[in-house]
Amino acid sequence: MLRVENLRKSFTGHVAVADVSFELVEGKITSIIGTNGAGKTTLFNLLTGHLKPDSGEIFFKGKRITGLPPHRICKMGIGRSFQKANIFPRLSVFENIQVALMSWAKKSRNIFLRSKTLMVNETNQILENIGLNGKQETQAGLLAYGDQRLLEIGITLGSHPDLVLLDEPTAGMSPEESKGAVKLVQKIAQEMNLTVLFIEHDMNVVFGISERVRVMHLGRIFAEGTPEQIRANKDVQKIYLAEEN
Amino acid sequence: MNIQGLIIQLLSGISSGMVIFLIAVGLSLIFGTLKVLNLAHGALYMLGAYLCYWISCQLSDLGGSFWLALFFAPLIVAIFGGSIEYLLLRRIYNREPLDQYLLTFALILVIGDIIKLLWGVDFNMVPVPWPLNGPFIYMGYVFPRYNLFLILCGPIVFVGLWALMRYTRLGKVIRAITYNREMANALGTNVQLVYTAVFMLGCWFAGLGGTLIAPLTSAMPGMDMVILIECFIIVVVGGLGSLSGAFIGSFIFGMVNAFGILVFPRLAIAFGFILMIIVLIIRPWGLMGKPE
Amino acid sequence: MIKVIGKGKTGRLSTWAPIAIFLFAGLPFVLPLSWLSLLTEMLILAIAATALNLILGYAGMVSFGPAGLYAVGAYTTALVLIYTELPFWLAFVAGPLLAGIIAIVVGWFCVRLTHVYFALLTLAFSQIIYTILFGWYGFTKGDDGIVGIPIPKLLQSIPNYYYFTLIIIGISLAIMWMIVNSPFGKTMQALRENPERTEFIGINVRVYQLSAFVISGFFLGLAGAVFCGFSKSVFPAYAHWMKSAEMLVVCLLGGIYNFLGPIVGSLVYIFLDKIISDFTHYWPLVLGLVIIALLLFLPGGIAGAIAGKLAMRSDKG
Repeated sequence: MLRVENLRKSFTGHVAVADVSFELVEGKITSIIGTNGAGKTTLFNLLTGHLKPDSGEIFFKGKRITGLPPHRICKMGIGRSFQKANIFPRLSVFENIQVALMSWAKKSRNIFLRSKTLMVNETNQILENIGLNGKQETQAGLLAYGDQRLLEIGITLGSHPDLVLLDEPTAGMSPEESKGAVKLVQKIAQEMNLTVLFIEHDMNVVFGISERVRVMHLGRIFAEGTPEQIRANKDVQKIYLAEEN
Repeated sequence: MNIQGLIIQLLSGISSGMVIFLIAVGLSLIFGTLKVLNLAHGALYMLGAYLCYWISCQLSDLGGSFWLALFFAPLIVAIFGGSIEYLLLRRIYNREPLDQYLLTFALILVIGDIIKLLWGVDFNMVPVPWPLNGPFIYMGYVFPRYNLFLILCGPIVFVGLWALMRYTRLGKVIRAITYNREMANALGTNVQLVYTAVFMLGCWFAGLGGTLIAPLTSAMPGMDMVILIECFIIVVVGGLGSLSGAFIGSFIFGMVNAFGILVFPRLAIAFGFILMIIVLIIRPWGLMGKPE
Repeated sequence: MIKVIGKGKTGRLSTWAPIAIFLFAGLPFVLPLSWLSLLTEMLILAIAATALNLILGYAGMVSFGPAGLYAVGAYTTALVLIYTELPFWLAFVAGPLLAGIIAIVVGWFCVRLTHVYFALLTLAFSQIIYTILFGWYGFTKGDDGIVGIPIPKLLQSIPNYYYFTLIIIGISLAIMWMIVNSPFGKTMQALRENPERTEFIGINVRVYQLSAFVISGFFLGLAGAVFCGFSKSVFPAYAHWMKSAEMLVVCLLGGIYNFLGPIVGSLVYIFLDKIISDFTHYWPLVLGLVIIALLLFLPGGIAGAIAGKLAMRSDKG
């Protein structure tokens, strides 16, 4: 589904992503873990077109997407949720998701229709799936942070992606909320047959639902394997212990 | 045009550029640290000019009244600015930029009319002070002394401000806040106090510029908006928030303006805007600024 | 801090609109001519302010230069009527059309920037327009302006021009209302809220911003064309930043997050201007204080405050 070849990106004097290559198989949930500054978010930004790589190629569903602008990449089927709750604060919860759906349905350019009547069932369906049903009219900015993160995921789903990139989906959530979010991701991924790649810090989340784990360190993919293999990997433990110090 | 005429034009261009530098540097400083584009900056400059006129008049019996005005007028403007910051500006730091523009625009209206109320709409002339009221003759050419004085002021202020930013505690704190406000706050700096200080400093510069220009162009209505638009051009060209940028920008602008008037008098005002447009299109963060 | 926007529950449009139309249509029978003239001026300002609010309140783009496009509309109509034998309606349509075209060019450059740089570039362009109008004496008559512009006999009386303006504003508001409530309008609001996120739901942000800018420019030009016919004269001051500031203040007065905000704002502004100017020379001082008071105490503008009160009442009741 996604193939990355020799991706490289550096900022003045600092190499953020160095020679990263990997492949994602359709339908699986995988994760990338690593210490702060390992280059995970930069990698995501490269995949979604927010940054242009210095060298390397990215292929999605067989097509080359290196260097395309973010809105084109989104339309091709990659969805992303961001590290902070990236929502539309003054729009209602309903409108937040509706606007993504309208874009997917190619209706956004239309100036003649009444937006209130569009994609209503589909929007409510997504709200149901993420557990925010009943909060349609609430202004998004007034939601609790945990709900905002859920809404964020909802907006991503509105674009009907085939591949979903989740950037630290449980950041800032309580353990309760994290559990809920994880179950949700798993459920949705199964129901919609999504391929999911997520960045995480929380090990419980990772080992809970990830089928494959990659470890990034200093811009490189350092280790790769099943959660058990990674947990047992001595070098990985060293890196994480070093960070704790 | 003969050489004498060219010299006059050149000096006129550079000296007015230096004065605009003083005002532009204040605007740039306020924007760089407070992230507010102070539209009332020109009005504060105008206030400085009128205060200069008023103080010079009140104390005209004393010798050296201009020099007293030079000391007091910018100070009064700075204090006035500080009270504006404390009473009004503080409340809109976290608001939309539009609210900030409108508040500072409202101040233009208020300050402008207060000046009209106090001093009327005439041109108020301020005599060029001794010992600068005369020519400086070199190689048979006349160089007006006051213009030379103004040209000196520019680099003096530039060096002074640069030293302040580089070597003093206040300067370091200002730079820290400009770079990362949350961090500075977390480290215990009283960000609010620094904001007030920076705003007052910016206003002081505006007042200083007004005081210095008064003997040259007199205190007159409308001078606030002319200078404001010119400052916009300069800070865009030089880079919003950059000290050296304001200096270079003022120099370029002074020259472009002086010679533009010679060559295309009716369209000269457009030159500045064309310059601004070109910079905004090719390099929006200006010559010395940093891309966001 | 999120500003809670009173959701414009000012009642159903279908009940208010006919009442408003009826009211406005009946006014020429009760108002003296000078008031009617003032009202016409207010309606024209309302078109311009609502057009500005399309990019200001809905798309979140603060422009310092709407007067430039407004003046393009006014001057195009004026110049066509003066220099050619073309009929009025053609000259009238040419105004907003040329304003729209210039908005495409100006907008293309401006939307590549954001925030203060966008604002300053729009200012620069509108000042260029001002300078051209001011300096090109041969063509635009410069500072003298163009006076005595011929308009059809039918529109020459004040009540008749009032009705003409009423029709134009009615159509314009209907179109702008439709746009604002369309998927395009919603997407514009999303853009205002979070351009980064909007890009990643598949929207080409630049194209949408440019489109909004051009639509806004078209209606600004339309307002200018109507004003040209109203005052039968045009002056370079129509493009001056003071005029732009006036439009921004009107939007603030009424409230930028409300469709009717700019209209309410124009009414209050023209009304205040007339009353205060009769009393004192110091209208700018009063206006400045009013703006400051509004910013500190009524952040949503007048319409915002009313909408908020109505929303609170409907929550309780």
